[in-house]
Amino acid sequence: MSIFKKHNTNADRSATDRRRHKEKIEKAIKEGIKDIVAEESIIGQDGKKKIKIPVRGIKEYRFVYGSNESNKQVGSAPGKDIKKGQKIKSGKSNKKMPGNKAGNTAGEEFYEVEITLDELAKYLFDDLSLPDLKKRTNSSILSEKIKRKGYRTKGIRPRLSKKETIKNKIRRQKKAERNGTYDPESDERFTFHENDLKYKHIEITKKPITNAVIFFIMDVSGSMTKNKKFLARSFFFLLYQFIRYRYHNTETVFISHTTEAKEVNEDEFFKKASTGGTHISSGLTKSLNIIEERYSPSSWNIYAFHCSDGENWSEDNEKAKNAMSNLINISQLSGYVQIKGKNESHWGEEMADVFAPLVQDNFKILKIHGKDDIWTEFARLFGGKYEL
Amino acid sequence: MSSNWTVNDLKKWDDKICEIAKNYGLDWYPISYEICDYYEMIGHMAYHGMPSHYNHWSYGKSFERTHFYYNAGMEGLPYELIINSNPSIAYLMMQNDFYLQVLIMAHCVGHSDFFKNNRCFKNTDAKYAVSKMRNAKKRIQGYIEDPLIGQEKVENFLDELHTVRFQTQRYNIPRKSFNEIRREEIIKFNKMKKSGKLPADDEFYYNILSSDNKLLRPDHDLLSFLIEYKKDWQTWQIDLLEIVRDESLYFIPQIKTKILNEGWASFWHYKILHDLDLDDMYHIPFMKMHNAVIRPHVGKINPYHVGFYIFKKLEKEQGLERCFEVRELHDDVSAIRLFLDEEDFRELNLFSYENKRNGDVIISEVSDHDDWKIVRNDLIRNIGINAIPHIFVDRIGQSGKLILKHEHDGRDLDLTYANKAVESIQKIWGSDGVKLYTIVEEEVWEV
Repeated sequence: MSIFKKHNTNADRSATDRRRHKEKIEKAIKEGIKDIVAEESIIGQDGKKKIKIPVRGIKEYRFVYGSNESNKQVGSAPGKDIKKGQKIKSGKSNKKMPGNKAGNTAGEEFYEVEITLDELAKYLFDDLSLPDLKKRTNSSILSEKIKRKGYRTKGIRPRLSKKETIKNKIRRQKKAERNGTYDPESDERFTFHENDLKYKHIEITKKPITNAVIFFIMDVSGSMTKNKKFLARSFFFLLYQFIRYRYHNTETVFISHTTEAKEVNEDEFFKKASTGGTHISSGLTKSLNIIEERYSPSSWNIYAFHCSDGENWSEDNEKAKNAMSNLINISQLSGYVQIKGKNESHWGEEMADVFAPLVQDNFKILKIHGKDDIWTEFARLFGGKYEL
Repeated sequence: MSSNWTVNDLKKWDDKICEIAKNYGLDWYPISYEICDYYEMIGHMAYHGMPSHYNHWSYGKSFERTHFYYNAGMEGLPYELIINSNPSIAYLMMQNDFYLQVLIMAHCVGHSDFFKNNRCFKNTDAKYAVSKMRNAKKRIQGYIEDPLIGQEKVENFLDELHTVRFQTQRYNIPRKSFNEIRREEIIKFNKMKKSGKLPADDEFYYNILSSDNKLLRPDHDLLSFLIEYKKDWQTWQIDLLEIVRDESLYFIPQIKTKILNEGWASFWHYKILHDLDLDDMYHIPFMKMHNAVIRPHVGKINPYHVGFYIFKKLEKEQGLERCFEVRELHDDVSAIRLFLDEEDFRELNLFSYENKRNGDVIISEVSDHDDWKIVRNDLIRNIGINAIPHIFVDRIGQSGKLILKHEHDGRDLDLTYANKAVESIQKIWGSDGVKLYTIVEEEVWEV
């Protein structure tokens, strides 16, 4: 008497909504990024490590009761002897009483997303690109380039060219009018035909691009407090992920300095702490030396970023400025990143002011006051598409 | 396909089920069963079983969550999913064993009978439920494709609306529009004038007589209020408001009768399966399944358990006739109030508990002679629509500010969520602002 139907056609009916949900998650990841980049645990890890990201904005809010004491709930206790005042869950133990989650309280929603660092880099950097990679000799790096190449009659829907399609339709309509098979005065619509459809065609070409080397220079002197180092690390971490993701064959050089500079490996760079005074110039000079030895500017694209708290021994200022100026001349892009609390006073001249006259297209001064600035300043450095 | 049944088997047994049900006097909508796999089932679940529903990312999220928990083995899928429509649409998973399909079909007959006959469902338009949702989907799709509106606007507006989706008519009392209220007040005013008993403060009546669109009485239907009192809506926005409100009005009866509805369906699958005279090879797994379905859940309320208990008790004490009456006239709240007494509460071993500040969970009352009524009242506060805080429009303040109040019944709101929800209402209401008054730890609180 009832009706039975097998196999509905809308099998994957939620596909669209899942896609939107995924897009929202990705957006939320980008927005939540400032909390992630400051997470110490991810610094210096390899790309396969998974990290948890608190994703905001995909929670669905509504009016719900809280879990204060007057919000009593009711349960059943089959076959159990229960007493008034009995403790059924201790606040100290993490064990949850089964079924303690009532449907009407806010509770935990799954809004933590686990992704790998590689995926994180993908979300973050897909729309940025390292600027001005001038072609130099000894090219060994391949980069993919997507280029539009005319139109095709077949293609995927997102590439449908509405303009070309409508042009085809108009052409056909005019022809039909001339042939007298279609009367424009009539009420009948002149509909699209499958053959009208035109799709944009794209071609992916692999292009050899040039070598790139990135210098990370960091002040690890006594005045760089733990917190500042942490911010510097976070910023470099972003830079590092960016480069590692985009330019697999790019070389990196890590230089940490106090009054003297030395080249260290990545691990030491991010983890080791030293004390002592500051000669900003030392780190810059060391970079210049290394460039001279190993990375000839004629065949390497050089990127150099210096991180410090802006305090320098004043006798070093002029020297630092000159060294920086030399470095700018041979770099594609360089930056000075000053990490300093907003209300922090300083002795003598701030390095940001010393370097200020040097600012030009390929030299930027970034100021980071707290972890909220890391991503915005980073984005500003590379085109600034993301203003979060 | 599945292991031990064919569609013809299902048809054969469906005929038997229908015959038994008819002889008992059940009166249900024709049922259309759709046979699907687990993946499709999760898809249908995301849209509450509606064969057609407008798109919104939250349904994608719902799918992902169910799919995740199912794959992780943390949650099973519900065996039955049936919607209140004429014909009723129900889903049968291919993977289910034969005895389970028979049980589900019998269970669905109970649900469909409940949909068709229970008083709460009188205004749900079962005949047009599916086509209404299909049309709503089409219209919303149209707004998304409209270059002047577009996906973002539609989605954002739906986001805000979903936040307050159940803040509409909860008690089936017809709402009065501004003009209706005004007419009533004018009649009252004229009566007073005739008898010469005009109140000294006539500002209120001045407001009524002026054509201004002020809110004269608190409005307990926030969504309808917004439709009527905000003046600069675009047509598509009003349409969305109405779609969301109507969907809530369609689902609220189900929220209010969860226990009775499941109880009634379980009561009937039990009875029918008993009369079917199944082979032992089917009857034993059926009994096992039935017991699993209606078993009490430790620490929470299983609606199947309580509902089945109520109807079993009624049948024993007052006869089957009375059961039919109850399924027609009652909802969960009234049934629990009327039919469960102290003895039942003790039998069901229900207790109230509190979440202490330090994280401890303490049993505050058990169903003994002194406290069972407290447990009953706590239970009633936590079921059906009572589990959703009631927010109403108190007035429109100076300069157009919307003043909302929370009907506080001793339970405080979750303030993080309340803040976000008020933000949403603010976005809907606009720049004039919104204020919500509630009570937190016995003090008035403004959100």
